[in-house]
This record gives sequence, C-alpha cells and structure tokens, in this order.
Amino acid sequence: MPDEKVKLGVYTCYCGGNISHVVNCEQVAKKLGGMPDVVISRTNMSLCSDAGQSQIEQDIKELGVNRVVIGACAPMLHEQTFRGTVMRAGLNPYLYYHVGLREQDSWVHANDQQGATQKALRLMAAGVAKARLLKALEPIRLEAEKRAIVIGGGVAGLRSALDIARQGLQVVLVEKSPFLGGRMAQLETVFPTGGDARSLLHDLIDEVVKHSNITIFTLAQVAGVSGYVGNFTLQICQHSRGVNTENNEALLAACRQEIPDDFNYGLNNRKIIYRAYPGCYPPLPAVDWENYNGEPLLIDGGKPIVLQDTPKTFDVNVGAIVVATGFDPYQPRQGEYGYGELKDVITLPEMIRHLALSKSSEHLRWNGHPVRDVALIHCVGSREIEGVDEPQEDGQVNNYCSRVCCTATLHMTEELQRYFPELNIYDLYQDIRTYGRGHEEYYNRALEDGVRFFRYHGEERPEVTAAPAGDTHPVLVKVKDALTYGEQIDIPVDLVVLAVGMMARDIDDLVKMLKVSRGNDRFLLEVHPKLRPVETAVNGVVLAGTAQGPMNIQESISAASAAAAKVVSLLGQGKVELQPFVAAVDVEKCNGTGACVEACDYEDAIALKTFEQNGKEVRRAVVTPANCTGCGACVSVCPNRAVDVQGWTLAQYEAMVEAIGMELPVLAEAAA
Amino acid sequence: MAQLMQTQQPKILILATLAGGYAGADSTGQAHLDYPANTFVLPIMCPCMFPPEFFVHAFEHGIDGVIVMYSGTDSPYKVEADGTAKLINDAYALMKARNIDIRRLRLAAICTVCVKPFLKEVNQMNELLKGIGFVKSEIAPRAPATQGVQA
Amino acid sequence: MSNLQVDALVVGGGIAGMQVALDLGDQGLQVALVEREASIGGKMITLSKVFPTLDCCSCITTPKMSAVAHHPNIQLFTYCEVQSVTKDNAGFDITVLQKPRYVDESKCTGCRQCEYECPITVPSTFDRGLGAYRAIRVPFSTAVPQKAVLDIDNCLLCGKCEKICPVEAVDFTQQPQTFSIEATAIVLATGFELSELGAKKEYGGGKLPNVIDPLMMERFLAPTGPYGRVLRPGDGMEPTTIAYVQCAGSRDQTQGVEYCSRVCCMYAIKQAMLISGALPMADITIYFMDIRTFGKGYEQFYQNAKAMGVEFVRGKVASIREDENHNPIVKVELTEDGRIVERTHDLVVLSLGMLPGASHQNFGLTPSSSDGFVAIPAANASPCVTQRPGIFVTGTAGGPMDIVDSIITASAAASDASAYIRRKTGVQVEQPEVAYA
Repeated sequence: MPDEKVKLGVYTCYCGGNISHVVNCEQVAKKLGGMPDVVISRTNMSLCSDAGQSQIEQDIKELGVNRVVIGACAPMLHEQTFRGTVMRAGLNPYLYYHVGLREQDSWVHANDQQGATQKALRLMAAGVAKARLLKALEPIRLEAEKRAIVIGGGVAGLRSALDIARQGLQVVLVEKSPFLGGRMAQLETVFPTGGDARSLLHDLIDEVVKHSNITIFTLAQVAGVSGYVGNFTLQICQHSRGVNTENNEALLAACRQEIPDDFNYGLNNRKIIYRAYPGCYPPLPAVDWENYNGEPLLIDGGKPIVLQDTPKTFDVNVGAIVVATGFDPYQPRQGEYGYGELKDVITLPEMIRHLALSKSSEHLRWNGHPVRDVALIHCVGSREIEGVDEPQEDGQVNNYCSRVCCTATLHMTEELQRYFPELNIYDLYQDIRTYGRGHEEYYNRALEDGVRFFRYHGEERPEVTAAPAGDTHPVLVKVKDALTYGEQIDIPVDLVVLAVGMMARDIDDLVKMLKVSRGNDRFLLEVHPKLRPVETAVNGVVLAGTAQGPMNIQESISAASAAAAKVVSLLGQGKVELQPFVAAVDVEKCNGTGACVEACDYEDAIALKTFEQNGKEVRRAVVTPANCTGCGACVSVCPNRAVDVQGWTLAQYEAMVEAIGMELPVLAEAAA
Repeated sequence: MAQLMQTQQPKILILATLAGGYAGADSTGQAHLDYPANTFVLPIMCPCMFPPEFFVHAFEHGIDGVIVMYSGTDSPYKVEADGTAKLINDAYALMKARNIDIRRLRLAAICTVCVKPFLKEVNQMNELLKGIGFVKSEIAPRAPATQGVQA
Repeated sequence: MSNLQVDALVVGGGIAGMQVALDLGDQGLQVALVEREASIGGKMITLSKVFPTLDCCSCITTPKMSAVAHHPNIQLFTYCEVQSVTKDNAGFDITVLQKPRYVDESKCTGCRQCEYECPITVPSTFDRGLGAYRAIRVPFSTAVPQKAVLDIDNCLLCGKCEKICPVEAVDFTQQPQTFSIEATAIVLATGFELSELGAKKEYGGGKLPNVIDPLMMERFLAPTGPYGRVLRPGDGMEPTTIAYVQCAGSRDQTQGVEYCSRVCCMYAIKQAMLISGALPMADITIYFMDIRTFGKGYEQFYQNAKAMGVEFVRGKVASIREDENHNPIVKVELTEDGRIVERTHDLVVLSLGMLPGASHQNFGLTPSSSDGFVAIPAANASPCVTQRPGIFVTGTAGGPMDIVDSIITASAAASDASAYIRRKTGVQVEQPEVAYA
C-alpha cells in the first residue's frame, strides 16, 4: 500500500448549470488535469446521475484511478452516494474526497465569475492535495456480545429485558432486592386506564420469566464494570436468599425479628424473612441481610439456625448495558409541612399504601382517629426556588417538576371519593399539570366531585401546623389562596397528604463504574435530549425509566422499549461498526510523552501502555477506537506529531492550506 | 501597507465544523446570498485537533485571515468549547511572536442555519484585511533552529 | 411499480416516522416509508428552535432526513398516500397512490432551474401563507428528496420549466399511479394538525389580521423564514407588545377539545424567549390557566423566561377584538384579582392545540378514541400497540406530545414492531448458552 502509485481521478460537476453558469468548469478541469499524479480530469453535467457515476466507476476500473476527487454540490447531499459509487468500483470508499462548489462557491459568488472560478480551482487543488494523502480506512468492526444486561427489575427494567429478548438477543436481568417489580408494585390502581398495578406487573413478569432468552438474578448488584461497547464485563455480586424451598415455611414461622415494612413505608411491620407482598416474584421469601440481627431461629425438632449470607461473585460479558435503577420518592425533611413532627402529615406514597390497607374499612382512620377532612398539597420537594426554599443535602434545591404528581394526586382524590364518599377533600396546588392523554379527565372529575381547590404561589407555600389544643381537628393548613384573590385561608383537617416528587436514587457507585453523567437534577443524563433521549454519552450504555427523570408508567415503558431498540440496533448483527474517523498513533513516532492522555476528555480512549518494541520495553500511546470520538484533542498537543485523526490528518490539512494559498495565474472568465 | 491588486485579494481560510459552521456556510449558499470569493471553507470535525502552529503555518503559506467557525457549546464534542478557546489563545501568543496582527485569527460560534452571523464574520474579516493588507507584509521570518532542535 | 415486499410500512415521514424507520432499518429490517408531502420532515422542519435547549431545529432534523434517504434498508416514497389496506394471515396488502410530481424523480437533480424560470408565484403553505414560492419548486431548501414538484392546479402549462430543465425531467403527461406494498407490520406516524385558527370565533382568528397561529410565528423566527424577522402580517410593522393566549385550542368544551395539548405552554414560552432575543424592546405577555412545564428542564425554562421579563398573567381570555389600527384588544378575566380588563397588544398568537392528523381515519385501519387520536387499549402495558394486531402507532398520531416523547415512542414502536415481525415471519430466536443460574 505505501508503495502504490497515486492515480487521481478528478471530476468537476456542472450541476445542471448551477455550478457551470458561474464557474468555468472546463478551465478548472483543464488546469487540474495538468497537476502531478492526476491521470484523468473530467467535467460532467450531473455526476450524481447514473451516467455520471458510471463514468467514475469506469475510470477506476479501466484507468486504475485510486484516488477520487469530486467537485459538486454540498457534501451532505451526495457524499454517501459517491462513496457507494467508489465502493462499487472496488475502491475503498475513504479514498475519495468531496469538494463543495455550489453552496459555497457558485451560489454565493454569482457576480464574480472570475473569482468564483479561481476559488473553484483552489478548492479542487486543495482536494487533490488531500486526496494524495488519503489512506484506505475500514470502519471499526468489533465483535459484539449478543447479550445485554439490564440493571433493575422494576417495570422499566422488565420491559426493556423483554423487548430485547423478543428481538433475538440474550438478556441478564439483575435486581438488587430479592423481588421483581420495583415501585410499581407499591401502587394500587394506575392512571389513566384504571387497571390494577400488580396485575399489570405480573403479566409483564410472567412474560419475562417465561422467555428463554432472559436470565434473572435477584439479590444481585453490579460490583465492577470494564470494557467498552460490544464487550463489557460486569462483575456481579449476588447475595443468598437465606432460605430454600424445603425450610422456608418453617423458618418463616420461627422468625421473631420484625422491622418496619418499607413496602408500606413503615405503616406496618414485617419479619426479617419476608415476601415483598402476596403474590410477588420470586415467591420464595428472602432474608433481609441488612437488618438481620444474627439471632438464631428455633425450628421444631432441630438445632437453632443462624442464617448465613454466602455472597458469590461472577462475571457477565455483555455488549450493552441498560440502566433501569428507578427513583426514590422525595422524603420531606423533619418539620417540612409538619412532616415527622405532626403525626397527621404523610406523603402520597404512604397514603397509597394506607388506603390499600384501609379500603375495606367503613370509614377512613388515621393515627387513632377518624378522617373526615383531608388536604393534599402539590409540589412537595419539587419546583423549589433557590433562595426561597431550603436546599437539599447537596446544597441544591429541587427546581424541577416531578411530572407525575398532579395526575397522581387527582387520581388519589378520585380513589378517596370512591371508597370514602363522605370525605371533604382540599387540594392545594400551584399549577394543575394533567398534561397527558386521559389525564385532564381526572381534574375535571375532581372539580365535579366537589374537591375544593386552592392555588398558592411558589414563593409563599402553605404552612401546616398543629391546631390549637381542643380544636375539632388536629392539623391546620394555612394558605394564601390566589383563587380568592390572595385571601389567607385556614383549613382545619384530620390528615395532610404531601404530594412528594421523585428524587434520583443514590447510585454513586454505579455511576462511577459506568462513567455516566448526571444532570443538575441528579438524575442520569442523556447524551442529547432531543436526538438521543435514552442514550448516555458512554457508547453502549442506555437509560430506561425513572433513573433518567420523573416519568409515569406509560412513559417508563416507552423509554424502556426505546432503550431496547437502541440495544438491538447496536448488537443485533453481532458486530458493532464504528466510523473510522478516530485517532490512531504511529508507534514509530510516539515516545510516550503522555500529553495526549492528559488532553483527552473521554474515558479510556487513549492510554499509555507498556509493550515490547524492537526488543526493548517501551511505553507508547494506544487508542481504543470504540471509545474515541475523533475530536482530535490529542493531535494538537503531541510534540512529535505521532497521533492523527484518521481521514482528517494534520498533514492533509497543511497540504490543503498550501494549495489554497499558492500563487496561481488568473484563469479566463467563465464561458456564458 | 501592501498594495491590493485587482486580481489579487487577501485570502480568508475558514475552518468550519461539520456540525456547525460548515452547514451554516451551506445554508448561506442555499439562500443565494453574496459574499466575496476570497473565502475558502474547509470542513473539520472539531477545532481541537489543530495545534497553534497550524495557524502560523497557514499565515506563512499565503493565508491572510483565518476564521474558526465552531459549534461552541452545541458541539457533539464535550471538549470543543473550552479546548478551542485555549487553542486560539495559544495561537495568538505565537502570532504575536511573529508580528502577525492577532485580529487575523478569529473564533466564532456558527450553527447550521446561522446565515447572518456567517456573512457578518466574512464581511468583517474582509474589512479588516482591506485595512491591514496581506500578512506577508508584516510577518517576521521564522526564528532559526537552535541546538539541533527541529523548528 | 411491481409489488414491493417489506417487513414494515411506516406511514408518515415526520420526526416519529423517520425515527421508527431508522430504528427498524438499523436492525436489518426492510422498511417502506410513505409520506404524503413532497418531502419528509413533517411539522418539525418548519420550526425555528426547539425547547428547552433552544437547539436549532433544522440542525437536528436534517441529519435524520438525510439518514432516512441514505439508509440501505429504507425505501422512501414521497408525494404518496395510502389508499387502502387489506389484511390476510401473512400481513398487510397496502395500495399506495403516487401523486404526480410532473417531474421525473429519477432524472431530476434538484438544480432548480425550473423554479427560477417559472412565472407563477403562489402563497407558500410551508411558510403558512406568509411567503411565496413558484408553481414548480423544490419544496424547501433542505427538502428530502431534493427534487422538484409541480403544483398543477396553479400551473399555466407555459412550458418554460420543461424547456430549461437540463436533464429533461419535466413531464406534463404524468398520471397518478397506484402500486402495492406488502408488509408484515404497519406503524402509523401520521402526526397531528394544528387546531383551526378560527375555531373559537370570540378570538377573531382568521378575521383579525394580527391574530396569528404559532406555526406562523415559527416561520417568522426561523432563520430560513420568509422575512427573517418578526413582523405583523397586518401591516408589516415590527410589534412591540405581543401576547400569547394559552389553551386557545384545548381544554375547551365549547370547541369540543377537552384534552390538554401538552406542548403549548412550552412552545409559547420558547417563542417568547426567542422573540425577546429578536426584539429586545418587546413586551411579551402570556395569558394562561395553568403553566404545564413538566418535562426535563422545562420548569427551569419557565423560570428563566420569568426572570427574562416575560409576563405571565393568570387569566382566561374571553374575547379579542381590534382597534382602528388593527391592534388586537384582549379581554381577559384576571383570575387572581377577579377583574375583567382589556389590554391592547400589537400582535396576538393563539396557542392552538393539536388535533389528530386525519390520515389514519381516512383509511380506517384501526379505531380512534373519543379524543380522535388512535386508540391505545393497553397504555400501561404497551403504549404503541393499537387495537389491531400488527398495527402500531407512534408520535402525535397517538396523542399530543412533544419532540422528545415522539422520538422515544418511535423507538418504542420499533421495538414492538420488530418483535412482532420476528414472531410472524418465524425468525428463529437463538438458543441461549447455559445460563449462570
């Protein structure tokens, strides 16, 4: 290859008159034909036509043209077309360079034909100069594991896993807790369909469990990540369940230790050996290792058993990673709207569980007393204003909207009315954001059902205090109501429900391992919110569900399916193909300075590696093409010009600049 | 000040990112707007690739003005915004050392439909060059190589 | 054209249609994309900038359009409409009408000589009637395909285009033609229509010259727009006070549109921000009921707009009339103090809503819900699946949504359609190796 003689074929297009009526294409072509190494220089009315393309193919085959320069309309229109032409003729498609002579010449210099023609010549000469230095390039093809890992077994993770499996790939699903289902399992009826959350979830779990392409690991976490797209290796650490099918009944009966049940947000207790909820999957109970106090369990007719966790670690090789780690509901601070200080203030998720546990009662009760008047407050822990609301632990306020809570809150008012029609319900909001399909109906119904609405401004949030002793109600909600023109209103209630928002989960470890970014709202960040809404900046890592931001079930499922589509596109062929425009190091020139490594902003794109060269041990820079974006930051700092972006080398640019700047005789004016 | 001959004009090199300035130049063409023919646009992926010496090399080889039309913070490359700014500053230092008017090198963020800003940059540079002329009239010769170190 | 067999037919070449076609194509499936306009790009290509990033819209749409045109697995049929669909066990048989361009697509190189020669100028629908183009034209500068189309209804048949065309591509003898496509699955990406400017008579849209629709404002704000500036259509003056009337086509029983159109709060705020940049001295007021800035980065966008001086007024606009200088006078009930006031502005934009695109109803493929959009029976299980097996829906055809959600549902529909196609065509699912269990 290095010894091959360069034979340039140069083509100047008339572009149906668009170029030729300003640029004297014949003159340009003639001058180009006289340049060294140019074996043929032609003009054509329309190079992109069949006839034009055939001419180029013929020249490659018959004249041995091995570098092609085409001057025509903008590259974005036909660069791909001509790459195809060149490939069909048997030449490497990267041995062709495209020069724009229309949008950037004839169309903008219509009144200066001489100037336009000179310019065309210089641009083409620059193209020729570059083409001389072009090297054949191959797209970077990496063998890819046709397997993905999904981290998180909630609705988004389940959906993603199923979709990937259905499209022919293998999936490993890891779930940190002992049970699948995530936070959707903690819901009862869901909006807008009114379906039952756990039934829907179980339908999905059934399909996932049935699918032979999916392997599920519960009590499993990611302990380490290495590799790159197509070839990641994840270290998984899996805890034991602590019980088996033979002994679980007995152990469950013998278990005495209880802790607050986090499935019900502590409204009741559960044992340290537990099932998340009746009907959960896997059905086998598990030991809560984090909270187990080590007490031995006494089983009839046996020795006391101390439960043991024997974690095991193993590696999984995958081509892509789906992050579906979910969210946490916002936990109000002690005293925030009275939460934690007043027993009669709870969060919406707690209310959902409480209603689930109470709905067969005749009357709603809380904290030992009947509930007749309920107030629900929107935007708790969301839409916070810097300087007005107290910052969170990390010093930032939650200035984002949590999206789902308005509809969820109005849905709750409907549920409350359904089971306890005698309730008086007060709803305190800033804006009602029932934006989705089928959501506005919840607002309309609430209005019809007699829910009383109060509107507050974010700068003056409602206050919740204990009512004076001896009052009819335990709690007083104070609001400056915009709907009554700023009147200060006191609402005595039995129960306050805080519509808390969604918070990003604390997954610091995972974030560091995956090297993904987080936004200011602490949720995981997509690489481009419009163009690539479920992909991260790390090639091969995609996002599914609320790990990325607040969203409801329908939206989580869409995002999860979208993530699956990305994974399948990436891995479906068993190969990952990347553009060849990445950095490459000439080891002969490199002397291991390492300036490139310092300049590089991308993880593991370039690194110093030690290996043997000419019998000596040397440290040289090595590029990992899969991680390189071709930005060239390494190129500009290398003291030895040892690294270049393939296809866009410094030498090529220098040659182009010299061609543009060269002394040229003026060409005659364009023909009419 | 150099004489500007009728058939010889100063040359402006524009390095334009594919994701930004280059498409902006195309958009200007689609609008059939007019500007002088002494501008030469080359597509680049990201300006961070160019060492400061590259610009001096351009000035040594007949280029009188350089505009880097980058994508700024809209860039698909994280490093582009800050990296380019630093690069240009380093280039200014080299230019000063060679007595090249630093206004001959400019950095501008141009997006794919930034037609007016594109024209503004081109026209501004032309105005400047009308005033200060060819770079060859001011550029100091290269310093001789010292102690066998490559220049 | 002979019978074409593909895995999936995508109906509609807007952002959702393009995305689903790309995702299916990337998986190695064969896709036919049918678009009724002469170019793909949908509504999105007409917009100026997108919220909340204020990215240039063209910059993010044109790469998708280009990718679709060049994708080896996607066949693009523009200026085509689906006529009828029949279903059998194997899949769908779709009859497509190729409307005549009167230009031979295989010859046309998009050089535009015909356009330069054509003596007829017609109002441009691309520019919402604010600009004009020729009877024969390449639809717009970034059109894909970059091929001319002749509006025969406004054509004089003078033949100038035919004479000037260097490749003899103009063909007045072209006739509408039908051809068949066989597809295993269909994805509906037929988009939305803006609600009508004149739907609420009290607002004077369509009668008062300085009461406009938001897509018109997009064309004012777009760098490729007809004037390159914001002017009021009535007299070409630069407005100094501009008002937005939210929920002008949604949440309104009197108009029969009870649902929220989801995007109007954000697009009004976006336009307000862009206008602030274009006309720094202008006062912008947004009359609203609720501000629904619910998405990622949206609330912050809203707060920024407030900080930049955009005035947000809670109030229901009852009616709009005009004074003798055609300045619209907005009558509004201010929710927060009970007064009813009249305020005069130079220009009023009615934040119109999204109505379902009519196409899918025309070929009766799958039922719609009472809101007119494609019915999705199991929204909390399969949000892209319609009531008919093998027919999927994506983007605004399935309900109002913004660009981000359109792109996400497009990829989701690709997942669903792909799994369905594999099942139907019996593509073998690989046997797994021994699992780790």
